[in-house]
Amino acid sequence: MGRYLLRRLLYLAPVWLGVSIIAFGLANLAPGDPARLMLQNQLGLQPTPEEVARARDELGLDDPIIVRYARWLGSALTGDLGTSYRNGESVLGGLVERFPRTLQIAVLSMVFTVVFALPLGVVSAVHRNSPLDHMTRVLALLGAAIPSYVVAYVLILVFAVKLHLLPVAGRGSWQHLILPSVTLALAAMASMMRLTRSEMLDVLGQDYVRTSRAKGLSDRAVYLRHAFRNALIPVVTIAGLRFAGLLGGAVIVEMIFAWPGIGMFMLDAIFARDYPVIQGFVIFMGTVFILVNLVIDISYAWLDPRIRYAGT
Amino acid sequence: MSIPNPSIYETLVGLTHDFDIEPRLAESWEFVEPNTWRFTLRQGVLFHDGTPFTAEAVAWTLARVAAAGGRTMKIGDDSVAIIDDFTVEVTPAEQNVLLPLQLTSPRDGSIMAPGTLNPEVRIGTGPFKEVEYVAGERHVVEAFADYWGTKAGLAKLTFRYMPDPTTRMLALQAGDVDIVFDVPRESASLLTGADGRRLVTSAVGAYHSLSFNIHGQAPYDLGQDPVIREAVSISIDREAIINGGWQGFAATNNTMVPEGVLRDAVSLVTGPVYDPERAAQILDDAGWVVGSGGTRAKDGRPLRLTMIVGYPSAEIHRPMPELVQAQLSEVGIELELVQTPDVGSYSARLTSLEGDLWAELGNQVDADPCYLPGALFYSPIEGASAEDNSYANAFAPGAEFDAYIDSCGTAASIEDAQIAAASAMRLLIDEQHIVIPIAGVIRLYGVADRVQGFEPHPVQFVERWEHVTVTGD
Repeated sequence: MGRYLLRRLLYLAPVWLGVSIIAFGLANLAPGDPARLMLQNQLGLQPTPEEVARARDELGLDDPIIVRYARWLGSALTGDLGTSYRNGESVLGGLVERFPRTLQIAVLSMVFTVVFALPLGVVSAVHRNSPLDHMTRVLALLGAAIPSYVVAYVLILVFAVKLHLLPVAGRGSWQHLILPSVTLALAAMASMMRLTRSEMLDVLGQDYVRTSRAKGLSDRAVYLRHAFRNALIPVVTIAGLRFAGLLGGAVIVEMIFAWPGIGMFMLDAIFARDYPVIQGFVIFMGTVFILVNLVIDISYAWLDPRIRYAGT
Repeated sequence: MSIPNPSIYETLVGLTHDFDIEPRLAESWEFVEPNTWRFTLRQGVLFHDGTPFTAEAVAWTLARVAAAGGRTMKIGDDSVAIIDDFTVEVTPAEQNVLLPLQLTSPRDGSIMAPGTLNPEVRIGTGPFKEVEYVAGERHVVEAFADYWGTKAGLAKLTFRYMPDPTTRMLALQAGDVDIVFDVPRESASLLTGADGRRLVTSAVGAYHSLSFNIHGQAPYDLGQDPVIREAVSISIDREAIINGGWQGFAATNNTMVPEGVLRDAVSLVTGPVYDPERAAQILDDAGWVVGSGGTRAKDGRPLRLTMIVGYPSAEIHRPMPELVQAQLSEVGIELELVQTPDVGSYSARLTSLEGDLWAELGNQVDADPCYLPGALFYSPIEGASAEDNSYANAFAPGAEFDAYIDSCGTAASIEDAQIAAASAMRLLIDEQHIVIPIAGVIRLYGVADRVQGFEPHPVQFVERWEHVTVTGD
């Protein structure tokens, strides 16, 4: 296992390099001059040619792209992702400040998802074609069909405007976490519930489940100890990837709830052509994705002891 | 830094709601021949850190303008002379009778404590002093006890960042906030007659307009034809857009510069008069014949235009582009709509001149009547890049227009400058049909009933808050 982990971590290097090239290339190919946009943002009006020329010089934007990439990569290797064109803020500092905010709502939404979707998926499969099954399937369909921004507005209208139980938007207390997390969770619940149900149905038809029943095991033991655990492998994969996606910033939800997470950070950077932030974000999230996938892979061995890793 | 917050920073000269100028940190000013402005500064004014406001702060502020090239103020390195602690003389590098009007701009005119650019805490002389600034979240200010003028009615004021307009409306409805900026026009009717909150509107301080690319290459060269430009301008029913599309929450205007800035000179511009029959007639006369599909064509080329929508965002123009598209189709002009995702994409497209009509919303930020037309339509600057010259390369009409703008700075009086600016706009709008003013922009605010004294300024950048109070606090 140790060698496996080490090898997977070493894979980070080429992935980082590839991601950095893509990030740098895409950011620099996007139309719009970052110096001009920076000045427009600062001044509120069109900058003069002299101001644009001075800003381009200060930002090093007149150097060839290869030179700029090499300069940026050299700094990034030492942990310096540069500074934002817009406000001079450290990119790494900005990411480190905003990432935990997104992590908060991502984790809470996954907790909601797991707590509600998995049991409902299991119960739905166990009681196939029952009224409960029909109801959960309809709920899952609705959850998948309704866009998250509609869910967000309905939740705000009910819980903030009508009932005054929760704040509409912003950050500052635990109450601010609830609505964005539930909005994200409702969308995830639908797919997780359906996936859990279908995997459970598949596993419940397997020979070893019939054997377990023939041996006289209780339904509870069959469902939870044998069926559910095996059904979890694809569910964990999807849940992990979704979680990683949430960590990249749920932009729509962050915008609606004025949640200053990493998604808004990236969106603002794209609009401003803030190359250092865009590049730093992509590298940062590439790393997060790789690490989340690693955790998913490791969890397979725990869920199914037959799964072993080369080198262990 | 972005545009300085007018609650914290003040200018030498203030801009009233009627676009008049009034003393602020300067008590008075006078023009001294041949080209000097002498400002007498207000005494007894303190910065938020307790240091006194003197001529040194004015010199430091204007030195920043000089370092940026002087901008429209034409401030040079040697322009500012400190006569004594409370007297400053400013001699622009070129004659500039508009200097007091330009000093109302918060961008260049905000007086900062010397040496405090980009400080941890912003230090000005305004009625509020900064308590906390969290980028992308909130800006908290509190009343400045030693303010020289009318003391703030609120002990504390928090500006919160909510990018989504629907969320802002819901926050007002829930009572989480007291005032929301930029109510979407389609949501404004929700506030009329609403319980506990109301709609408050500003006077016109910005514009929606369409500008023709008159220097494009095929397929974006139709704007070179003045007949097409005139036909388009009189095919657009601006009243229908304002009353139907925007439910009356905009104002008719005939220029890009607010009436309050142009004053009596605004009558020099009549604006396009809706007349689709005449539009059809002049197109017929020019050989643009209606084809079987309803689109006109000439020598096998269909009369097809492309409108680029994206400054400062595509959303802000809705539903104007679709309404214009429908109105033009009535006279046989086909209009393709292209929405750019952000300002960067819009600017890049403008630089490459890929489009015929360009939809923009722009702001007046000071009392200078010549700034907007000069910035957008003056001829290209020699040696500057295509991006620097993008507006000029697309829209600039040439020497006659430039002469009007040039005469602004050397005008004998502000009235003469207003006439010069209006004449420039008349050339753009009435004579050459390069610009089609769609509407004057009225800012819409949702305000809780417990808020009193909020009278929005037509220029959002200079909004002041010391007169606002909240009952029940």
